[in-house]
Amino acid sequence: MIEFQQVSKHYPGNAVALSDVTLQISRGEMVFLAGPSGAGKSTFLKLIAAIERPTRGTVRVNGQDIGQLRRAGLPYLRRTLGLILQQQRLLADRSVLANVMLPMLVCGATTFDARQRALAALERVGLEDKAQAAPMALSGGEQQRVAIARAIVNRPQIILADEPSANLDRVSADKVFDALRSFNAAGVTCIISSHDEQILESAGRAGRIIYLEHGRLIDAPVNLAYGAA
Amino acid sequence: MKTWLRHHWLAMVQAGKNVRHAPSSFLLNTAVIAIAFALPLTGLTVLENIRPMALQMAVEPEISVFLGMDVPRPDALALRDQIGRVLQDSKRSGKIEFLPREKAFTQLNQKTGLSEALAILGDNPLPDGYLIRLPAFENAAAAAEIEPLATHLRALKGVEHVQVDSAWIKRLAALVHLIGVTLAILAATLSVVVVTVVFNTIRLQVMMQREEIAVSRLVGATAAYIYRPFYYTGALLGVSATAVALGTVTVILHVLNNAVAVFAHLYGSTFVLAPLDLLASALLLGVGGALGFAGAALCVSRQLVTADQQHRTMLRCNLFASTRSKSMSDFGS
Repeated sequence: MIEFQQVSKHYPGNAVALSDVTLQISRGEMVFLAGPSGAGKSTFLKLIAAIERPTRGTVRVNGQDIGQLRRAGLPYLRRTLGLILQQQRLLADRSVLANVMLPMLVCGATTFDARQRALAALERVGLEDKAQAAPMALSGGEQQRVAIARAIVNRPQIILADEPSANLDRVSADKVFDALRSFNAAGVTCIISSHDEQILESAGRAGRIIYLEHGRLIDAPVNLAYGAA
Repeated sequence: MKTWLRHHWLAMVQAGKNVRHAPSSFLLNTAVIAIAFALPLTGLTVLENIRPMALQMAVEPEISVFLGMDVPRPDALALRDQIGRVLQDSKRSGKIEFLPREKAFTQLNQKTGLSEALAILGDNPLPDGYLIRLPAFENAAAAAEIEPLATHLRALKGVEHVQVDSAWIKRLAALVHLIGVTLAILAATLSVVVVTVVFNTIRLQVMMQREEIAVSRLVGATAAYIYRPFYYTGALLGVSATAVALGTVTVILHVLNNAVAVFAHLYGSTFVLAPLDLLASALLLGVGGALGFAGAALCVSRQLVTADQQHRTMLRCNLFASTRSKSMSDFGS
């Protein structure tokens, strides 16, 4: 489903974000990206979402070569992805429901269908009673769950989550990961970057952990105490 | 097709929301564009009222041929045949009337009431002449073709002066043409003003909605989906401003007509300035909408590309910062 072949990504100024990464992620897998800040986790996710293009090598998502993907093809790739960001990027001037409806409307759904699906998505993350609330009136954990509802409303094949538990308390973080696990159980491929050691410790049971350091893939057994691998 | 129409409907709704979010800005911009439009529109309306007088008026041209004072009467009379040949060569028919100097003098005395002044002169100062009446031309433009004929008549031996009596019609037609060209240049210049105002309005909207645009892209919005509301906002601004300008012109005409009616009455006319007809008004609304659309399209094509570049740069800067600190930036473009 997702294939990295000798992928390197350099930013201007010759900063190396990823170096010679080769791996495959199968459909329905739950993959955790671990590693210190600056290890290349976000770049890894950006390459899958075609926010960045590889400097060298090939990234394939559902058989599509991201490096060769035309600008006009980008929206159609992104409709197969659910993006959950560290900062949720919810639109402050719209209700929670309107925020979750957005991906559906963008795809051409009717307002009625979009509303029904958005309400269902909010129900799945336990926020059906907050549908009409303003995003800014919610707690950080609730905002993150709204972002998850927005990511899953279009029934994506892949969920990309960049530090979804950052700035959340333990209870909120657990709720976020429980939600992600439930989508994975339904067959959605989940790729989650995280610093959260507790989450990563339990990740071994739920899926695969990929460890990145200085942009390189580390094959050695993961030691979750960063820097002591 | 249904999806495409739905996207357009959503874009229109979004354009309406854009206006509702900043109504004062929209109204001010509408006023600026309407003022810019009102001037050429008033000129155009007046021109459309005058044009029929100049172009659709049937013209019966007369050519007065004045002979030299020293031309003997037999030679003067013999000129009739030569004038007839000139008319024939020009493929024109016309009535040629010889006007002896005595008759001309009598007519001048009777018509102008200058008998006292002419009596002081003593001798008859008028030469023999011919009056050529040509068939009516359909319009003033066709009347312009009379000039080559006059040139041929001037070349005849014994002819001192040739006067084309329909010249004023040609002058009026030329004046109307000049005003038309001036208005076209003015309209073109003010169109640039309209495009600029719309460009600036849309630029501000794009800046205000930067976050929404970024999020829409992340969830799979196509470029067309993002651009459309701005196109509609631009077109709406253009159409609204043109409608206001047309209303303003109607008020101006109402005020002008009071003065025009008094002036026309002096010439025994009931002439008044009429507003543009429905078709012309609809056409102008379309032009206004098109100009608004053009301004928006120009802005969106430039602004969103610039915003894209800035956003990417910002993301990269955040990424580098994250290599030195624990705070990771979010991603998106």
